[in-house]
Amino acid sequence: MTTPSDEGLILHGLSKILGGRTIIDNLDLTVHKGEMVSLLGPSGCGKTTTLRMIAGFLIPDQGHITIAGKDVTELGPEKRPSAMVFQNYALWPHMSVFKNVAYPLKVRKLAHAEIERRVHEALELVNLMHHKDSRPSQISGGEQQRVALARALVQEPDILLLDEPLSNLDAKLRVKVREDIRELQRRLNITTVIVTHDQDEALSISDRIAVMNGGKIEQFTTPQELYDRPATEYVANFIGSLNRVEGSYNDGLVGAGTDAIGIRPEDVYFSHNEIPGGHRATVELVVPRGHFYEVYLKREDVALRAFVSSDIPKHGDIGYVRINKALIYQNGHLVRSA
Amino acid sequence: MSLTSSKVESLEAKSAPRLSLLGFTMALPPVLLVVAFVGLPILIGFTFSLGFTSGPNRVVSLIGQQIHSKDHWWGTFAAYRDVIHDARFAGDLILTLVVTAISTSLVLAMSLGIGVYQRMVGGRIASIMSTLTLVPLFVPVVISSWAIHTFYSGDGFMRTVFHHFGINFPTLTSTTAAIVIGTIWTSLPFAILMVTSGFQSIPDALIETAQDAGAGFFRIVRTILIPLALTPIIIAATFTAIGILGSFTIPYFLGPNQPTMLGVEISNFFGSYNRPQQSIVMAFIVFMAASGIAVAYIWANVRSAKQSGRI
Repeated sequence: MTTPSDEGLILHGLSKILGGRTIIDNLDLTVHKGEMVSLLGPSGCGKTTTLRMIAGFLIPDQGHITIAGKDVTELGPEKRPSAMVFQNYALWPHMSVFKNVAYPLKVRKLAHAEIERRVHEALELVNLMHHKDSRPSQISGGEQQRVALARALVQEPDILLLDEPLSNLDAKLRVKVREDIRELQRRLNITTVIVTHDQDEALSISDRIAVMNGGKIEQFTTPQELYDRPATEYVANFIGSLNRVEGSYNDGLVGAGTDAIGIRPEDVYFSHNEIPGGHRATVELVVPRGHFYEVYLKREDVALRAFVSSDIPKHGDIGYVRINKALIYQNGHLVRSA
Repeated sequence: MSLTSSKVESLEAKSAPRLSLLGFTMALPPVLLVVAFVGLPILIGFTFSLGFTSGPNRVVSLIGQQIHSKDHWWGTFAAYRDVIHDARFAGDLILTLVVTAISTSLVLAMSLGIGVYQRMVGGRIASIMSTLTLVPLFVPVVISSWAIHTFYSGDGFMRTVFHHFGINFPTLTSTTAAIVIGTIWTSLPFAILMVTSGFQSIPDALIETAQDAGAGFFRIVRTILIPLALTPIIIAATFTAIGILGSFTIPYFLGPNQPTMLGVEISNFFGSYNRPQQSIVMAFIVFMAASGIAVAYIWANVRSAKQSGRI
């Protein structure tokens, strides 16, 4: 049971209609103190709207928002104990890095020495002391991102909100910055909600992930559970890669039926030699994917994709294929995994 | 066949001077036009003010009164002395500068008010307000001047309405206040266009971040909106001030006879008093005042270029 001291963020029965369209529909979410939660979903699923309601930029039509035990539903963003990092960093171009980070403290009318100390601490935290006098236009995208993070952290918020914070960075920098963010979040034990449409990002840095669809949360659980036991067909399709077939599943074979069967390509095992539970299959296509190969296989009962990293087959090879795990869905919901 | 990078570089190096020559040739006609029809008359006028009364200044020197011819190789300041020692000029200059300062300040304050309201609050009322403020753009100055004249004159609308309530509303025509009202009417639309476009170009995220940091309305306006839109604000202010400084129609229709604004006085000296040399001296003094204001314009442009990394 959640006690007030554990409370990071509670969204209860949140709804929002914008332009006559229901964007968020009776959404519930509880984020524990010090936890990092991702709101994951495709464009238009309502994740940014949810974040903007938490930040106070939008007032929900229904429901309540509680941060650290305090109801903030009707409060404006300037009165909430939250700090947000925007997608495009939103650094003020007319201010130096130091002034950008110092701004929230100046607003709070802290003493000059206190401001200086806390800004220096924040900039050291993100390794940007050497850029304190630079203008935002003089530093790289990754550095700008860290300045935005420092500006949020210097406020010592109860909750840190990150709106697609890595989407403007190149692939390598994205991995580096997300690790930095995660490390900082753990070190400061700060409750964090991050909005992303990148499942890799969500899976690698979150304690828990809320997969959103049509203004609702489809599933809210740990990354591992989300991947291993996606509660709905939507989540199974959205997270990772999936072979989806219709039929019935028994003893590693797909037969006639109406169930939706989801099989992860990494749960499809291919061997040139006969294996227990394996069935004959023909290799139809082999696509190199870097450190593994995506192999398109045709069995008598089903066509499958498999991720293979050793004993790589060639087009036209005959081998044996075993399905290690399948997820069976009825009416879009998981009924069993086999 | 593909070109190697060194070949591409050598081709680029060869075509660069040709391109720059082409660019220069394309820019030349308007530059020559400005030199011929603006630069040259300014130069001729300036030499005339210094007492160079021959050549292109000969005819005007023969017709005009109180013409001073040069008594040094560089000319004479006699015409400048005439103007500076003329009590009317001092009054005119002060009135011109006062009207320019007051009108520019009011225009700027109103544009900032409407711009901030539109940016921070938005909605239907803000849209209606900003649309209405553009109306004067489509009314010729001479017509609006006459309309303002009849509105505030002794037998005008305002006095008539107030008279019905037993109130003696002052006659504003032929006063400095009428010039200020008229210059605001004509200057406001452009200033609002500049200022609101400056505010509108500020991304929402920059404002929301300030809100998120705890800043209230006035702090956001003071620390975020105005600094970020400073370049268009200064450009609006300089254009407004220079426009008012050299205005003629409004003070001619609405202002007092004496003192009057320098635009009107220059015309009087040139036409009514037949003292072209003194009118040109006045024009140069106005020009110098405008140049002082233009420094702010140049500074604003340099600042903008620096911020965007162009220089």
